[in-house]
Amino acid sequence: MKITKDFIKNIIRAASHSHPNEIGCDDCFEELHEFAEMELEGKSPEEAMPLVKDHLERCGDCREEYEALLEALKAVQN
Amino acid sequence: MFDWFKRRGKEEASYETNEEWVEALSQPVDEQAVDQLRKKLIQGLKPALHKYVDRELDQFVEDVAQDALLKVLDNIDSFRGDSKLITWAMKIAVREGLTELRRKKYDDSSIEDFKYPDDEGRNELTSLTFATDLPEPDEATHEQLVLKKVLNIINNDLTDKQRLAIKSLMIEGHSVSVVAEQMDTNRNALYKLVHDARLKIKNQLEVEGIDPDELFNTM
Repeated sequence: MKITKDFIKNIIRAASHSHPNEIGCDDCFEELHEFAEMELEGKSPEEAMPLVKDHLERCGDCREEYEALLEALKAVQN
Repeated sequence: MFDWFKRRGKEEASYETNEEWVEALSQPVDEQAVDQLRKKLIQGLKPALHKYVDRELDQFVEDVAQDALLKVLDNIDSFRGDSKLITWAMKIAVREGLTELRRKKYDDSSIEDFKYPDDEGRNELTSLTFATDLPEPDEATHEQLVLKKVLNIINNDLTDKQRLAIKSLMIEGHSVSVVAEQMDTNRNALYKLVHDARLKIKNQLEVEGIDPDELFNTM
């Protein structure tokens, strides 16, 4: 399988931003409701839960779920 | 008098606090609470999922809400009260819906790489190595040499599973949920697998005297 320079660059970027204390999808999910509620209340969840924020930036599936959750909660609030 | 009791019994109960919700959703379950929660979930799921569903949104959302309700009832004891109950329940419902949609999307597409008709096909995939058209060292530029070095790390220091995960996620762009399912694992374990691979690449580059940050910025 041939791969491109862009792919290797992506790998280097992902590697360079890696750190040992990242949390996984399960830990992120455990905190996600609290994180979302803080966001909707105008607080700063990224300061209170930086590891959740970090995971959401790395994980496409978790980020997609978080964005959909915000959308859903806004609809229920209205 | 009897009619008054009947009318009163039919009045919509209201659940304001988490305590009221938890009590109503714990055994014996209050059916009115379940119905109200179901309506709330549907109200939230429709706008949240409409862009992913091209037809029969109402039916899809109702099915998702029903499945999510069962999970909420099964796990009500684990609700810690660190948010409103509806926020926690909605989180479960949203994951339920998106997981189902990802599964459908995967089923509808023909991703041959992921089909393992027999053990032979699986072996072929998990023993994959990466190759490039980069020139031999004597005629390569510094950048090409560095790229080759990264490629060598991927091919020599990562496990077959790590390479397969990186290929599926970063080259083919499949979702974590789908790749996890196809690799007979779960999202968390897959994330950990790729996390370990990223760290291994980073550490190996540093061992070879290459700063990954600097490298990325100069490319």
